[in-house]
Amino acid sequence: MNPPSPIAITGMGAISAIGEDVAANFRSLVQSRHGIGPITLLDTYHRDKLMVGEINITNTELYDRLAIPRHEAYTRSTLLAMAAAREAMAMAGIDTNDDYRTGLISATTVGGMDATERYYDDYLAAETNRHFIPTHPCGYGTEQMARYLGVNGFITTISTACSSAANAIMLGARMIRAGLLDRAIVGGTDCLSRFTINGFNSLMIYSPTHCRPFDENRDGLNLGEAAAYLVLEAPDLAARQSKKPLAYLTGYGNANDAFHQTASSDNGEGAFLAMKTALELAALKPSDIDYINAHGTATPNNDLTEGHALLRVFESPDALPPFSSTKAFTGHTLAAAGAIEAIFSVLALQHQVVFANLNCSQPIASLGIRPQTRLETKQINHVLSNSLGFGGNSSALLFSKADD
Amino acid sequence: MIRPIYIHGSGCVSIQPTFESGYHFETLRAYAQNTVPAFDPDYKTYIPPMQLRRMNKSMRMAIFAARSALQEAGKDTADAVIAGTGLGCLHDSERFVETLLAEEGQSLNPTPFIQSTHNMAAAAIALSLGCKGYNMTYVANANSFESALLDAQIYLAEHPEQAVLVGGVDELGVRTVQFWDIAGYLKHDTPAIPTPLGAMPSPGEIAGEGASFFVASHQPGHEALGKVTAVETYFDATDASVFISHFLQRHNLDASAIDAVLLGYNGDDRYDQAYATVEHTLLAGIPQIGFKHVLGEYDTVMASALFLALRLFKRQDIPQSLLLNGTQPRSLQRILIYTQRRGKNHGLILVEKK
Repeated sequence: MNPPSPIAITGMGAISAIGEDVAANFRSLVQSRHGIGPITLLDTYHRDKLMVGEINITNTELYDRLAIPRHEAYTRSTLLAMAAAREAMAMAGIDTNDDYRTGLISATTVGGMDATERYYDDYLAAETNRHFIPTHPCGYGTEQMARYLGVNGFITTISTACSSAANAIMLGARMIRAGLLDRAIVGGTDCLSRFTINGFNSLMIYSPTHCRPFDENRDGLNLGEAAAYLVLEAPDLAARQSKKPLAYLTGYGNANDAFHQTASSDNGEGAFLAMKTALELAALKPSDIDYINAHGTATPNNDLTEGHALLRVFESPDALPPFSSTKAFTGHTLAAAGAIEAIFSVLALQHQVVFANLNCSQPIASLGIRPQTRLETKQINHVLSNSLGFGGNSSALLFSKADD
Repeated sequence: MIRPIYIHGSGCVSIQPTFESGYHFETLRAYAQNTVPAFDPDYKTYIPPMQLRRMNKSMRMAIFAARSALQEAGKDTADAVIAGTGLGCLHDSERFVETLLAEEGQSLNPTPFIQSTHNMAAAAIALSLGCKGYNMTYVANANSFESALLDAQIYLAEHPEQAVLVGGVDELGVRTVQFWDIAGYLKHDTPAIPTPLGAMPSPGEIAGEGASFFVASHQPGHEALGKVTAVETYFDATDASVFISHFLQRHNLDASAIDAVLLGYNGDDRYDQAYATVEHTLLAGIPQIGFKHVLGEYDTVMASALFLALRLFKRQDIPQSLLLNGTQPRSLQRILIYTQRRGKNHGLILVEKK
């Protein structure tokens, strides 16, 4: 069976703790410069206690950079999203006023929660901040983005915990293949919030120090904030406009672990099914994969079960291609993670380089697999990227190199 | 154009006794309050008591509606679960915010945090059925269900041999309701369900809650309840009659081919004009049916409107309390549903009996 034609990726935009655009993110990755440090902007009890991947730009500064009037209500996730999506659209050179059907599919879990938690009592007492009340629903920020970016076509928002952005990317590709869109701006955004920091801390999976993905002694995650968007186009559309794609999206899969609300099953069933589906759709074999950008949150449960799932797909430690989690650079950026890591996967293909998995000194003994701990240049044609979330939501995306 | 999907089973929890077998909106529960919580079925029918105790309202309502739909379809499980929810598990979100504001730095109970995640209802259905397939949750405000339904259409086009559970769920909160009130969303002036439409216009909506799920596939089967031919959304639109007429053109339909139209009148005189415009122009002369005046307003009430449309196909009779305008059609074969919320998130579903 021939695989369906690949989806062209023609633009990318990213803002994270390791850079304010895609180029800066790439520089940090190749220089092994992480973005994890103390909390400086968010007002929380955990300020001097927990480490995060924070973007060192205030909301006011983001308003100014985006030329948004100060009196309008935009929450931080939306501001970050608009910055990243604008970069992606500029790179792709798309004009939303032409005749092509452009969709916007965005992912978030925090939505407007950072405003809600800040003004929870204040809304009742004073009028000053009440214009932020409508910003709470996850869908609201996407609608603001659509207006800001000039997208008049299909828009929707996905929220499936930590796999959200991967699912937004997948829907964009599926809608293009179904003939419902010509191109799609897809990705995700989540800012830091007291809600999520306290949530993961209450689950006792928040590291007291720097997270250590795939290390035997890993002790939890660091949260981060980020927004990342990609422009997907039907391959014939990209060709007609003589655009050279940055890379192709060739496979994707989503499955449910159906095991537990937060923990993954021992053998990583959901992750296994998602990776298998992505490979089948792309008509590729496990041995075709040259690099895996793992979900690798550095929680004891995730890395162990994802490791088991990888071993099930690739069958032996020796057959496993180089893999790394980049979360020690950015922190776990929740609904943005699938998109920021999709961009890292495309960067890996463009620059033929495997990024390092930081802070791993002792691999997980029971797995017998060792992540790539140093930057390495090698031939890369296909990259697999995993995103796994609460509620057993498991997604895998497969990216392939554009022709030279 | 994407192929229609057939609906084989439906389940609905709402502020009316929609969970009762064969319910046809003839006997209506009346309320004189705002907000209106769901009229609860006995959730223990489908959920073991130990699990039920730990589940929030969204998870309960969603599992109940999904299991009812499966039962009607004569199936034990589905291959995928696709849900829409405007606000997710609102009550647990509020609980966790309140806990952290009061006790940040102490040891917090993580359960409300876990269960505040927007995909918890779809995940709870998957867990309850042991369904390891595709699992998705859309949070597109008042178009959340329409996004889920569109995904179901795409998914079934990709997997024509499979069956999916698709639906929508939204629950009421407590503090959030106060915020809605401050923002001017809610009706103050003698709120009532059924809401009198037209007589004494006043601003504000009556907030309800509920869940509706459907079993859908590409197979017509013998006893399909109906088929969803098309679903479309328009976030921002100035004139509903323009996009509705384009929608009908794209589906090669003349307005006269529609046997009845379900309109989302909710008694909020600031926004009901959108329906009045199409009622008096494009769709003039077509029987008009209301649903929000008996179900209340919430982001995924569109799913319950689809539930109602399927019931109308079965009974071939529009209860008088729902018929806003026009006369009983001779036959109900094709229904158009149109809704919007606060002037945004316009949604259209075209549903046919055969």
